[in-house]
Amino acid sequence: MMTKGMQIKLFSVALAILVSCFQYGHAQNNKAKLVVKFETMANNKPLVLGDSGYVNEFAESYTITRLKYYISNISLGQKINSPASTEVFLVDAAHEDSISIWAWPGLYTKMIFTLGIDSALNNSGAQDGALDPLNGMFWTWNSGYVYFKMEGFSNASTADLQRIEHHIGGYQGPNKAVRQIELNLQQPLIINEGDQKEMTVVLNLDKYWKGQNDISIASKALIMIPGEWAKKSADNFPGMFTVKIVK
Amino acid sequence: MLKLKVILSLFLFAAAFLFIIAAAKDDGFGFYNPTLLQLEIPKGWPKPAINYFAKNKLTEQGFQLGKKLFYDSRLSRDKEVSCASCHQPFGAFATFDHDLSHGVNNSFTSRNAPALMNLAWMTSFHWDGGINHLEVQPLSPLTATNEMGQTLDSVLLMLKADTVYLRMFKAAFGEANINSQRMLRAIAQFTGSLISAGSKYDRVMNGLDTFSNFEKNGYRHFKNNCASCHKEPLFTDNSFRNNGLPLNRFNDAGRQKITGLSSDSLKFKVPSLRNVQLSFPYMHDGRIFSVPQVIDHYISKINIHQPGLDSVLRKPIILTKLQKNELTYFLYTLTDTAFTKSKRFGPDGPVFFKH
Repeated sequence: MMTKGMQIKLFSVALAILVSCFQYGHAQNNKAKLVVKFETMANNKPLVLGDSGYVNEFAESYTITRLKYYISNISLGQKINSPASTEVFLVDAAHEDSISIWAWPGLYTKMIFTLGIDSALNNSGAQDGALDPLNGMFWTWNSGYVYFKMEGFSNASTADLQRIEHHIGGYQGPNKAVRQIELNLQQPLIINEGDQKEMTVVLNLDKYWKGQNDISIASKALIMIPGEWAKKSADNFPGMFTVKIVK
Repeated sequence: MLKLKVILSLFLFAAAFLFIIAAAKDDGFGFYNPTLLQLEIPKGWPKPAINYFAKNKLTEQGFQLGKKLFYDSRLSRDKEVSCASCHQPFGAFATFDHDLSHGVNNSFTSRNAPALMNLAWMTSFHWDGGINHLEVQPLSPLTATNEMGQTLDSVLLMLKADTVYLRMFKAAFGEANINSQRMLRAIAQFTGSLISAGSKYDRVMNGLDTFSNFEKNGYRHFKNNCASCHKEPLFTDNSFRNNGLPLNRFNDAGRQKITGLSSDSLKFKVPSLRNVQLSFPYMHDGRIFSVPQVIDHYISKINIHQPGLDSVLRKPIILTKLQKNELTYFLYTLTDTAFTKSKRFGPDGPVFFKH
């Protein structure tokens, strides 16, 4: 037989569940959807994988065959930041995938995201989804994720087959290559309840080769491990992105 | 109030009923009714520093799936090399009597296959510590061109085409949906369960046996000269040390390859000495063949001027010939045949070992 105390407790639990259901529904309705597309440009034109004829600031011509990178913790910011999406996305220049996130109504002047993977996900075992090692972004001999993987060819490369292989990663201590990217929006973005907004973020490869640091192909065609050169490359990440279109 | 009670109980019944239905649902690949297991911590051992089974719940079904994968040579490119080819149960899961191991296409590894035991207490894997978690360890031998030489896609394709595997994945993870995470977690359930704690040493420590005088003296020499790195009861402190071996023909700088630090040059992981009698030859490249020869290395063969030599080895170990023999016999008390002959850990049927 239930005592009165137990009845009250059970009733409160049921009530709490009902209330939280309503709150959840309310929150979902309140939010707006933001679709983010990623594009790659080089020499002021779209980068086409496999096409030759691109030239960097060091007058080195190059062809890119593969370009993939991880984006996580996407949020919109101003004075109060919209909560960051916990999802991890793998952007692949070979596909035209877009990323969908939820955003709170508000007025925003910034777009914020992380290029790379938070430390904890680098050393907590086998992951799935975007982080599945099947995606070729996990080092098998030196555990951890490659955050930014760019491969191709260049006459300036002294490596075998004149390859370019830049595998940028590192999550431990001084070798951390995760970078926070904060982009200013040209015009404030106003998001209302139930809106569907679209945004295009552009990666300008010209700024990868020459940004805060010089990364010429002749000086470093292969970057395969965390460390000095991976960090130099990572320091160029924040400068290579801009927000092009918001609609 | 009575009405509410009725509604609530009905609701609870319905939930329980749905749960049972879902659990018992057979989609053609059998049922999901996992038997939970607990990692058994031997008496007097510390708790593992990392709980590898926090997210990957240890179950009998997961263990059995991991064991099948471990002994299946179809995981390799030429279908001839399994995990067990180089990690042989009778060699304490190292490659018996081999300095280096054979991979696909008559290739050789460049390091000695380590014995697999008590891995749940390890904080990193590989001689250079490059692997940071038990689950991701198999990615390395599966894909290395001089080991199993396979791509992850091909391994998964093979598994997905095999009804036996589909049923075992269903039994272990609730879905006949095979992905890399589940495969790696199953292997970790098997390898992480390989506990060796049944040697004479363990029986003596638990008051169930006694050392001979010879072994007792050897234990004293061990504690005076070896135990600071080969820390009891796991017989390793999981550290990386430069033990005075010169650079080998593969220019293997060890830990430096992972950290990029010149101060880590020629540092390798301190291996456990459990089952050391069976895991010969020794060192990261198998260059030393016997236990007495290893002891000789520490007595007189170290180049004390080698840059980066571990500070505890600057002063050579001094042992008489008799003491050396006593130490050797103590180390042989670490042999655990219940472990190496275990039916639970050994293959279920005949297995072809390529070596």
